[in-house]
Amino acid sequence: MTTLQPRPGTAASLLSAIGGAAPREGDRVVTVPVPAAQLEAAVHHLAAAGARLADLFAADGDQVTLRLVWGLDSERQYLVTETPIDAPEYPPLSDIAPAAFTEECEIYEQFGVRPAGGKPLNRVALPPGAGPDFPRLGHQPQEAPEEVHAPHTVGGQAFEFPFGPVRQAGVESLYYGLVTSGEEIVDLYLFTWHKHRGLEWRLRGRRPAEAMFLAERTEGLSATAISWALAAAVESALGVQPPSGALLTRGIALELERLYNHAAAMAALCQSTGLSVGQAAAEIALERLLRLNAATFGHRYLFGVLDAGGVRRAPDQAALRDGLPGAYGELRRAADALLATNSFMDRLEATGIVTTEQARRLGLVGPVARAAGVPIDGRLDQPTAPYAAYPPALAVRDAGDVLARLRVMLDEAADSVRLIGDLLDAGPAGGTAALPAGGGSGLGWAESSRGEALAWVSLDADGRITRARLRPASVRNWRGFDDAARSQNVFTDIPIIEASFWLTVAGTAR
Amino acid sequence: MPLWFARGLRRGIVTTRYPARPDSSAAGLPTPPAFRAGMLDHRLADLLVTVCPSRALYRDGDVLQFDVGRCTACGRCQEAAPGAVAPSGEFELAGTSRAAFVKQIPLAPEVGR
Repeated sequence: MTTLQPRPGTAASLLSAIGGAAPREGDRVVTVPVPAAQLEAAVHHLAAAGARLADLFAADGDQVTLRLVWGLDSERQYLVTETPIDAPEYPPLSDIAPAAFTEECEIYEQFGVRPAGGKPLNRVALPPGAGPDFPRLGHQPQEAPEEVHAPHTVGGQAFEFPFGPVRQAGVESLYYGLVTSGEEIVDLYLFTWHKHRGLEWRLRGRRPAEAMFLAERTEGLSATAISWALAAAVESALGVQPPSGALLTRGIALELERLYNHAAAMAALCQSTGLSVGQAAAEIALERLLRLNAATFGHRYLFGVLDAGGVRRAPDQAALRDGLPGAYGELRRAADALLATNSFMDRLEATGIVTTEQARRLGLVGPVARAAGVPIDGRLDQPTAPYAAYPPALAVRDAGDVLARLRVMLDEAADSVRLIGDLLDAGPAGGTAALPAGGGSGLGWAESSRGEALAWVSLDADGRITRARLRPASVRNWRGFDDAARSQNVFTDIPIIEASFWLTVAGTAR
Repeated sequence: MPLWFARGLRRGIVTTRYPARPDSSAAGLPTPPAFRAGMLDHRLADLLVTVCPSRALYRDGDVLQFDVGRCTACGRCQEAAPGAVAPSGEFELAGTSRAAFVKQIPLAPEVGR
């Protein structure tokens, strides 16, 4: 990165608003130091300018530094603000940008610093009883975080129905607190910390090649997307450009990941609506897609494909060309039959509505946001190779309900098949660039099947990670789930809404 | 619903007879490594210990210990020493004790490479 004035736009307007900062501008990311005294004004300015708060995290060390990652989607740029925090409190950012609340809680758990104003902060990742010896990135907070609970007194005929964390076979650990009068959902809250594995803590001191192994296990169903984001962050930090064949391979793997995830979501929708034969039909398609992954890249869930600097494996192009039409045809036939089944469609329509305003306010991403009329897709808004040359078709709907989310997924699945064909035709795949010695910091991103996955990494002079921030899309979208569940839904709608969000607890608790 | 019933019947049975008969798709699955003991010396064993991301390998004197229960079949050891390590082809792991998953691989004197 070099120090210079950013090109005209939101980043330049921020500099004129807060004054005096020396930005560091890369090709796609501009980093602006913001003093703590001006942080509130900066957030006000960026929120008013329509910037999308994509992430908020702290870096460890002798001094806590807050970093806010803003998506300037119309300008095809990310803006990162850096603010050293000397005091135990910083300005209450979620009062200005509500999308910041979950991260404020997470920073309090990990670093012990909190937003001013005394707002209660929830437990989101660390388990109860996490004492001073519990592995964390910074210091233990002086007071334990609040347990999440319904923000009202349950009275009258309503009661709280606890569900989880152990649920039916094959479903992740997640505790629901459902407040219901027996039918209608009055309120809902989640405990997501059961799957916390301290992954960001474990990444410290690792070399990038070692870190990739853990990164793809952050959220196994987004192994390609999250490891791509981390690899891109490392490559940005070290100034490495992967070979073009490697970028084609990453695109192929990412679209395969999108395909099988959307098929899995469709199967889960059938299960949640009690349509057993439809579920079997979708799972046949899912199994064929997973076997296609194994035939193409040697792993059903596409683990071990990416490497920092490139890829570890090239696709078996013949196997992919041979198997993709049949596997997708299976998915399409199941989808067409489902869309023609009125009893299925009736359960999806007007269920779990997320409004456009909610999606924007909470910073939702991926199919959940696009189904609510928010046209964001990192492959188009923040395009990197190969998507700059091979752009996807934007799938967007306005209704914001479960049906809109299913339609977005089906549109995207069809487009993924087209993209895979284009990427296969684009040239030889594979290759890895050697990582140079040295350190630095960088931001990386990829559009997973759930939406924007982000990673930020800082490397010391020896090339070891001093701080890695992994932000899967699930971290963003769970915060929209309770709003969707409360939107005039009944008890039995909850599994349907959860299937349509198709998020992971592992990704958010990491 | 009757249409779905008919559709299910028409699609027929797609599951295989596994485990009564082998499943052909298993051939494409990644499997834990098999080590050729005569090809492994201390130096190569230490290299394999270094590249294993899940710490399934550790050296105890003249023996390389391989904990199959910790192996994720990532293939990094096979890439590091293709002559000494190959896929085992075994993906069914079962045992009556934890110790049954730890294999002892005796190391040879220095192997010329």
